Amino acid sequence: MTKRLRQTAILFLLSISIGIISNFVNGNGIPLIGDWPASGGSEAAVSPSAEENDPPFISLDEAAALFQTPGVLFIDARDPEDFELDRIKGAINVPYDYLPDDDYEGYWENLANEVPRDRIIVVYCSGTECELSLYLGRDMVHYGYRDVRIFYGGWNDWANAGLPKEQGE
Amino acid sequence: MNRFMQNDYLSLLTRLVVGGIFIYASLDKISQPSEFARIVYNYHLVPGNLVNLVAIILPWVELICGLSVISGFYREGGILIIGFLTVVFITAVGINAIRGVDLECGCFTVSSRARGNALSLLYRDLLLLAVCIYVWLNRSQRFYLFRQ
Repeated sequence: MTKRLRQTAILFLLSISIGIISNFVNGNGIPLIGDWPASGGSEAAVSPSAEENDPPFISLDEAAALFQTPGVLFIDARDPEDFELDRIKGAINVPYDYLPDDDYEGYWENLANEVPRDRIIVVYCSGTECELSLYLGRDMVHYGYRDVRIFYGGWNDWANAGLPKEQGE
Repeated sequence: MNRFMQNDYLSLLTRLVVGGIFIYASLDKISQPSEFARIVYNYHLVPGNLVNLVAIILPWVELICGLSVISGFYREGGILIIGFLTVVFITAVGINAIRGVDLECGCFTVSSRARGNALSLLYRDLLLLAVCIYVWLNRSQRFYLFRQ
């Protein structure tokens, strides 16, 4: 048994050393201690690539409060596949990766019929590992939406908190 | 039964399968640590400040233990760790399936397109665990680069 423990320990130590060394040598290495955003509750998760003029980031609590507010629209930036599987109740799908390249302006004109520009908009995607909500939020502001907020904790935080959801097309 | 547990060719085959799977699984993660760190983070099972360390080290554990099982270098340690990791994966996927989290597997690729169904993932991991147990129990001494 001690032989197995010794082997296990040596293999682990070997992996740790090579891993750390290769991370230093490797051109696309990452910091050993990551600064990952907190999520859930009253603290708003913020994208690491957020810039000064970006729409405000809101917390799970704020998103849940807006969910109760009449007139607020939730926009799901994920792929249609994920949207159909599970989403925030009442959300509208604007799949950022699938928006048309050719008539982008026209797309936004059409969307304004379904999603009026004067509403409060909450954009989300799957969670803090996904940037679609940020990109979509920026575009919505650019195309005339007046009050866009980014719920960066996204679907994962919403599902973890057991808040209302729905499925299907 | 005894012959089944000592079969040289089955030993070689199962070691190649298990070791090969872990080596293959490690490569994409080693080449893109930041993408893999995102996936680890998304499992929400590791404290935020340890996410990067796990993302840096875990793929190397997979690679080195995969090589160990195939070559016979510290074979018993290697298969113990691989079995343990498989149990960890099963637990992690299971917990997130219960939470209803939208999970990227991060098994063989760091691409977000590889979003498996949790149940099929669990079946796959359980099958892998069964093969690991066989490798552990097989007493064959042949087809090793390093003598046991």
